[in-house]
Amino acid sequence: MTLLSSAPGGASVRRPAPPSPPPAPPRRKQGGVILAVPALVWYLVFMVGPLVAIFVIAVLHWPGMLQPVSFAGLGNVRTVFDDPVFWDSVGNTATQLVIALPVMIVCAYMLGYYVAQKPPGHRVLRYLLFIPGLISTPAKAMVFYAVLSPDGLLNGGLDKVGLGSLTDAWLASPSTALYCLIALDVWGGIGFTAVLFAARLDSVPDEISEAAQLDGAGHWRAMWRIHFPVIRDFVGVVTMLQFLWTLFGSAQNVLLLTQGGPGSSSTTLSFLVYQKAFIAADLGYSQTVGVVLFLVGLAGLLTIRRVFRQNY
Amino acid sequence: MKFGRSWLAAHVLAWLYAALLVAPLYYLLVSAFKTNDQIFGSPFSLPTSFSLHNFGEAFSSADLGPAIVNSVIVTVLALALTLGLAIPAAFAIARTEGRLGAFVERVFSLGFLVPTFAALFPTFLLAAATGLFHTRTFMVLFLPATAMPLSVVILVQFMRTIPHEMEEAARLDGASTFAVLRHIYTPMCMPGIATILLLNFLTFWNEYLYSLVIIGPDPDQRTVQVALPTLKSLTGTDYGILTAGTVLTLVPVWVVYTVLQKRMQQALVNGAVKM
Repeated sequence: MTLLSSAPGGASVRRPAPPSPPPAPPRRKQGGVILAVPALVWYLVFMVGPLVAIFVIAVLHWPGMLQPVSFAGLGNVRTVFDDPVFWDSVGNTATQLVIALPVMIVCAYMLGYYVAQKPPGHRVLRYLLFIPGLISTPAKAMVFYAVLSPDGLLNGGLDKVGLGSLTDAWLASPSTALYCLIALDVWGGIGFTAVLFAARLDSVPDEISEAAQLDGAGHWRAMWRIHFPVIRDFVGVVTMLQFLWTLFGSAQNVLLLTQGGPGSSSTTLSFLVYQKAFIAADLGYSQTVGVVLFLVGLAGLLTIRRVFRQNY
Repeated sequence: MKFGRSWLAAHVLAWLYAALLVAPLYYLLVSAFKTNDQIFGSPFSLPTSFSLHNFGEAFSSADLGPAIVNSVIVTVLALALTLGLAIPAAFAIARTEGRLGAFVERVFSLGFLVPTFAALFPTFLLAAATGLFHTRTFMVLFLPATAMPLSVVILVQFMRTIPHEMEEAARLDGASTFAVLRHIYTPMCMPGIATILLLNFLTFWNEYLYSLVIIGPDPDQRTVQVALPTLKSLTGTDYGILTAGTVLTLVPVWVVYTVLQKRMQQALVNGAVKM
């Protein structure tokens, strides 16, 4: 797998050895750092720069790209906190996280555990579970659009089985739009996350499950009391990832499927950042929400890390 | 028997969920060969003909041809640039002992905490300021930066395992620093390079929101992920064409996944572990 065999020979015979004293202390510890500079510059310009700019723009009054910019101080914060739409989107984001994250992680862990026990057909299952991880957000959204639109698959199915009264314009109804978006996250998230858990559980030493069986521990106990603690920190990392994806990534699904509507019933915080910047052209407002989002993300990461800290 | 009665519920639930994942995809695939009437009339039946009409329509009405070319260009160039930046950086960090190397590595790994999403508008300003707004060139330059933290951290892990004696031997033969990088470190951490290539291939090919905002609607520049959703409105939603277009964008990823399934899952686990 490695091209190890070709490595040592290649560098030899460049020029005759210099007439320096043979045990010259190798200078390899110096001079190399400069090679990290291009990557560092790239990273500072494209990642850290924009991040800092969020905080700068948040204190500006900037009512559109070509409009004059003035200093607003904490004025944007006041505007944002007085805006009912902001609080709607805080509520929506909270709902989304509170439902999606536990459902996703718990189901994915159990599914991952199941697959890692290598039941019949586990290879096929593994292959299928990973599919949502491959599909881009627009493609996923298009599938859901086809399923959930008024004349789509779900309503058609309900009609067929005689439950026509339950049909709804799922994405266009204030009471269901947000839950459709959550369902989309959970639908794909479980499978993808389960594959990660299964792969990690594969590397748990067999002795652990054998010992559990000898002790007469049932599968439920083995799953939660024995295996879970072993991969606890990995579960924490995956939870962090899913938390960030859900928190920041929801803007894409909202944009593609509901545009935050009807009203603000499916506007999430990250969609609000997008909407205020690129549709409402209120840039100070947008980036103030961006700061809020960043702080929520940071606080969430630290909390999750604390919760899942290895404690044996 | 390990999988006794008590497992029945688990079997059923797991496969039910798998069916839930596959059903929409099956629907997607068969719908790509149907007309709207057939899709609504008999959504799950096999198509009556495998005509490629919808694919042709999708190609022409959303300009998917150029969009696929653009996606390939952006993905390949961005991957090349990512390697060009990350390999030397990881090499430098792995060989530098003491505070400096650790500090630079820390700077990169802190990048995991940068929420790229909130930075969309400033990035847009940056694109405008550099005069690269509405070009795919900006995405080629930008995407590698987002990939830097993960790529550098993974590669450093691999390079740290290479014994110093290899380099010392080459040094005695008069090899330059560049030759050491090229002929020792790069070949020896091929598995690491494969890992970051795969991870970043998925992210770059599927990138949507930044491409939408920065590349914009120009059919000559936009990527396939930006072109695809336009089918929804353009065609008065002809579902056959919409699904055909979606299938087209999935083909490259699906092929890569099927060929490299094991390695790709391992890559994702590596990626998550290193966070």
